[in-house]
Amino acid sequence: MMFQVLNQIKVTLEYLGGVSEAPPLKSFSWFRGPIWWGIWWAMLILLTLCFSGQTSKFIYIDF
Amino acid sequence: MVFNTVSYYLLFLFPAAIAFRLARSSSRPWICSFFGCAFFVFFSLTAVGGLPGAFCLGIFLWETMFSRLYRKGSWLCWIGVLQSIIFLTIFKYWNFLTGLYFGPPDHNPWYWKGAFLPLGISFFTFEFIHYAIDRHRGRTEAGTVGEYMSFILYFPTMVAGPVKRYQDFLPKIRNPEQDSVTNWRLGCTRILSGLVKKFAIADLMTAFTNHLNQADIAAAQRWVLPLWLLAYGVKIYFDFSGYSDIAIGSARLFGIRVPENFDWPYFRTSIVSFWRHWHISLSSWLTDYVFIPLGGSRVPTGRVYVNLFVTMLVSGIWHGAGLNFLVWGGWHGALLVLHRIWTQRVGPAPAERPFYRTALCCAGTFLWVNTGWAFFCMDLSTVGVFFHRLLLG
Repeated sequence: MMFQVLNQIKVTLEYLGGVSEAPPLKSFSWFRGPIWWGIWWAMLILLTLCFSGQTSKFIYIDF
Repeated sequence: MVFNTVSYYLLFLFPAAIAFRLARSSSRPWICSFFGCAFFVFFSLTAVGGLPGAFCLGIFLWETMFSRLYRKGSWLCWIGVLQSIIFLTIFKYWNFLTGLYFGPPDHNPWYWKGAFLPLGISFFTFEFIHYAIDRHRGRTEAGTVGEYMSFILYFPTMVAGPVKRYQDFLPKIRNPEQDSVTNWRLGCTRILSGLVKKFAIADLMTAFTNHLNQADIAAAQRWVLPLWLLAYGVKIYFDFSGYSDIAIGSARLFGIRVPENFDWPYFRTSIVSFWRHWHISLSSWLTDYVFIPLGGSRVPTGRVYVNLFVTMLVSGIWHGAGLNFLVWGGWHGALLVLHRIWTQRVGPAPAERPFYRTALCCAGTFLWVNTGWAFFCMDLSTVGVFFHRLLLG
């Protein structure tokens, strides 16, 4: 049961992060429509802008 | 830097991806090469290395010409490997190696004051070596000049990976995925989530990780020290996986899929599993070009341990020119050896196990990995102070 819940969270996060193409639950058809992606992208852009003032270099760029 | 700049998107990624999509298939490698050259020169001039850094574009041009000489079984492939290692050693390890002999810069007559690192040298060196060895083994075709240039100058992965393989990349540059809508949707989502990981999580942790210096460690209360180290564990994961997301998403805009680099590494139940899911493209490179050539697992048990340990030492010193990185590699080498001894004694872990045991194994693996980050993020004297304060007060 616990494994299933965790796996569902993993699959959902991977879908939201653009890692996988298939939506996690088939019943959520709005989850893949253009309006959904518009809202989701707007949220991600907003979050990026909110925190973008504190930028530092990436650790792995020639250390 | 680079992926978190507006210039990356407006000057390079979007124009290159659109031009790549619109171009004829014969022109596509040249579009990648052109934008790769421009990217390297621009960010060398503006971010690292300056003018001398920009001149290091010559390394790519030389590699392109020299790689045309590679044939199956040819000794020239080994010359190619050697020159790649020499380039890396000069730029990355010169002051470190001469410092080991002569001591601090003031006493080091060979000290290179204006030392700089060409953009992405640690990563493109691995791709050069891979190509030379695989050509020697006859495991990949040569491709055209344009195709090889597009491989080594493919800017989404040039700076910090994922480390590509030529035989995987070649079919993709020849026949990129045609479904532009899906690729752009997934690519942009991946880029945006990578940016959120970097800005909203990794950079937020900097407030804690900045304290990992001798003065702050000496003044801090004991209980806060593991939290700072934990913050570094969180930071490095979200920083590098965010970076990889942006690189993979950027490549997706071209219709090209590059290797994945992370697959939930902090939720793994053993150190072996951790390394199969952390910086995957590096781990598989080290397996193929260091561990297996050393003999891999098909040698007597003692030799296998040595091979594991040496491979992780190479990984450590590749991560940075410092003794602390060597110790970090040794730490992971020791953990892998201990894990191998353990599984040989008690047998492999069962496929099915109760949730609490899986959770305990994950927590244990995370603890060892996170402890190891101490050697990664601090020099050895600071690490000494850190553990002294942590364990002895």
